[in-house]
Amino acid sequence: MRHLEPLQASLEAYCRRSLNHGDAIADVLQSAVANAFRDFDRYAEGTDFRAWMFRYVHLEILNTNRKSARLGHAERPPEVAVEDIWQLALTEPLAKVLLDDPEPILDQCDAAVSEAVRELPALERSVLLLRTIGEFKYRETAEILQIPIGTVMSALARGRSRLRERLLSYAEKQGLLRS
Amino acid sequence: MNCHEVRQHWNLYHDSEGDAGLHFQVNEHLAACAECAEWFALQSRFEDALAEKLRSRAGTPVLWNQVLSRAGLKRPASVVRSWLWLGGMAACVALIGAILGIVNRASPPDLAKLSAAWHQRLATGQEAVQFANESDLEVERYLRKRVAFPVRCPPRQDTGFAVQGAGVGALAEQPAAYLSGHVDDAPVSILILPRDGLASFPRQQAAVRTEPTHHSREGQYAMVLGVIDQNAVLVVGATDPARLEKVLRAYGTYPEIH
Repeated sequence: MRHLEPLQASLEAYCRRSLNHGDAIADVLQSAVANAFRDFDRYAEGTDFRAWMFRYVHLEILNTNRKSARLGHAERPPEVAVEDIWQLALTEPLAKVLLDDPEPILDQCDAAVSEAVRELPALERSVLLLRTIGEFKYRETAEILQIPIGTVMSALARGRSRLRERLLSYAEKQGLLRS
Repeated sequence: MNCHEVRQHWNLYHDSEGDAGLHFQVNEHLAACAECAEWFALQSRFEDALAEKLRSRAGTPVLWNQVLSRAGLKRPASVVRSWLWLGGMAACVALIGAILGIVNRASPPDLAKLSAAWHQRLATGQEAVQFANESDLEVERYLRKRVAFPVRCPPRQDTGFAVQGAGVGALAEQPAAYLSGHVDDAPVSILILPRDGLASFPRQQAAVRTEPTHHSREGQYAMVLGVIDQNAVLVVGATDPARLEKVLRAYGTYPEIH
C-alpha cells in the first residue's frame, strides 16, 4: 500500500487514456491491483516498483481493450509517415501557430486530445503514454511492454507525429489557429 | 551534423535518451544554429504542454477507495463509520494547514536561499553526504531507488564535475535529490526536483519560463537553474557561473545504465 499511494494518480491517468472505453477504469485498476498484490512475493524490494505496477495495469488494459475490440469497437487509423512532422513543424504557418503558443489551444482541445490518443494504434498509444504519464525511459518502457527498444523508439516517433497531425487538423477545423 | 540530421534526433534529445556523444553533437549544433535552437525549443514546449494535458484529470480518491476496497486491500467506507471523529480531526488539521498556507503564501519560499543553505551544509560537512561514492553509475542507481520522481544523472565527467555522492531530502516540503561533487577544487551541488515541484517557488518558476537557464547569486554562491526533461535542476557552488552552466547543460546526458 505504501508503494502504491504515490503512483495512484499516474496509474489512473494511464488507465484513463489507454482504455477504449473509460467506464472500465475502476474494474481494470481493481484487477491489476489485486493481481499485483497476489504476486507481491515475486516483487524484489529495491527494484522499480513503478515499472512493476504499470506492467500489471498495462496487461489488464490490453485484456479489456481486446474484449471491447471483439465487440466491434476496434478501428485502425490510417498510417502517417513519421517524417511528416519534421516538415510540418516550421514550414506550415498554422503548425507554427500551434507550436508557438500551444497551451491555450490545447486547453480548448481537451476532448480532441483524449479522442486522438484513444485512436492511436495500441502500441503507439502505450509507448507514448508510458513516456508522458509514467515518465519511463525507453529501456524501462521496452521492459514493461516486453518489446525491443528500437520498437519503442519508432512507435514513440510515429505516435507523436500522428497525434500532432490530428490535433492540428482538429484545431484548424475549429478555427483555433489564426496565422 | 547538419540541420536535418540534428532534427531527426529531436525525440532522443528531448527524452534525454541516446548516448553522451549524440547529446554533445546536438548541443554543439544548437549553440551555433539559432534556427534549430528555436525549432527544438518549440517542439519541446509543445510536447511538454501535451504531456501536462495527458497527465491531468487523475488522482480521484473516491475511485481509489473503490478500487482498493474491491481488491480487498482496504475496508469499505461504510464499515468505518466509527472513525468519523477522525474526519473531524482531519478537518481541524486541514484548517490549521490552510491558515499556515495563507501565512506561507505571503512570503513564498525562495529556492535560491534554500539551495545555498543546503549546499553550504554539504560543503562544510555540517550535513554528511548520505551516499558517498565516486562512481557515476553507483550514484545514479542509488538515487533511482530512492526518489519517486524520474532523475537523470549525473553529468558527464568531461564537464569537469567529479561526483562524490548523493542523497535525498526536501526543499520547502518538495521532494528533492542532490548530487555532491567538485568542479576543480570548488565544492558544487546539483539539486534536483521534479519539474512540477518548481510551482512551490514562484520566483524561480517565472524566471525559467522566460530564459532557458536562470543565473542568480546567493551570498558567496553562484547558481544556475534550468528545466531539463522532467526535472528542475539547480547547480550551485562558489565558482565561475559559466562552469556551473556547463554542468547544468550536461545533466542527464550520461550514457544510460544497462
